[in-house]
Amino acid sequence: MAVERFVLMNAGPSQPRPATQHLRRNPPIAGEQEAIQRAQSGDSRAFETLYAMHKRRVYSLCLRMLGNVAEAEDLTQEAFLQLYRKIGTFRGDSAFSTWLHRLAVNVVLMHLRRKGLPQVSLEETLEPAQDDGPRKDIGARDLTLSGSIDRVTLERAIENLPPGYRLVFVLHDVEGYEHNEIAEMLDCSIGNSKSQLHKARMKLRDLLRTGQRKEQIA
Amino acid sequence: MIVLRAMDKIMTCAEFQEKLPELFESQADLGAQEHLKSCEMCAALVRDLEYIAAQARLLLPIHDPSPAVWEHIQQAIRRGDEPDVKSVSAGRK
Repeated sequence: MAVERFVLMNAGPSQPRPATQHLRRNPPIAGEQEAIQRAQSGDSRAFETLYAMHKRRVYSLCLRMLGNVAEAEDLTQEAFLQLYRKIGTFRGDSAFSTWLHRLAVNVVLMHLRRKGLPQVSLEETLEPAQDDGPRKDIGARDLTLSGSIDRVTLERAIENLPPGYRLVFVLHDVEGYEHNEIAEMLDCSIGNSKSQLHKARMKLRDLLRTGQRKEQIA
Repeated sequence: MIVLRAMDKIMTCAEFQEKLPELFESQADLGAQEHLKSCEMCAALVRDLEYIAAQARLLLPIHDPSPAVWEHIQQAIRRGDEPDVKSVSAGRK
């Protein structure tokens, strides 16, 4: 039932949020407005233009949320097919890319819920785990991360996060959604979203520090 | 805040770390936390978590889908398929 309720509540990207972070990440694209209007009139070349403009962002989002290339490509395909069907409903109340982005997030979340995969067992990963609790050794002076992590290393560590953690981390820290939005998307409480985010960051720190130790040994 | 600061003086590492999610979300000035002034371990933890969050915000979309994705979209549109009828990964198999 929870799945169906989620689907009904989030079937379309009808309520995008004009968060500052989203605006920063969704600058206007030259020619986009014209392409939208033409695509809404059924111009297939215009739809291809929109695909070219937004494929990277949609695919990167899918890949980061799923950590799997094949699934990310499938859901990128599904997101754009949904866009094709729904583009006539876009009224320009928000940035197109924000609207499309929310559509893509919903496609991924619905896919995960259909599969019964991790993000629906959010509560499970919210239970205190041995490796998430406070530690005494986490601040060793010779192993601070600051300034030492490159993009590739961080991307790889995010991929290795437990899926439930990864979802919240990607949505909040990478994509810039607020906790209230994430709670709505994941059908969990705002407190859970906050707690999950903190644990995700702690886990990332562990992963990054472990990687550093291995490099030092090598 | 006053209560927090008063408590801060007697916080253990475990207590401070338990409050950390709340402190982050409140966007409090963590540098002003009394516990951090005397605990290098927790100060390093806070620095790292702030660093991770800051680096994540800088991650840009850099991955492109394979050309097969657009090909399958076009095919599905031509057939008038509903989404998810034929997937890219299924096409690979």
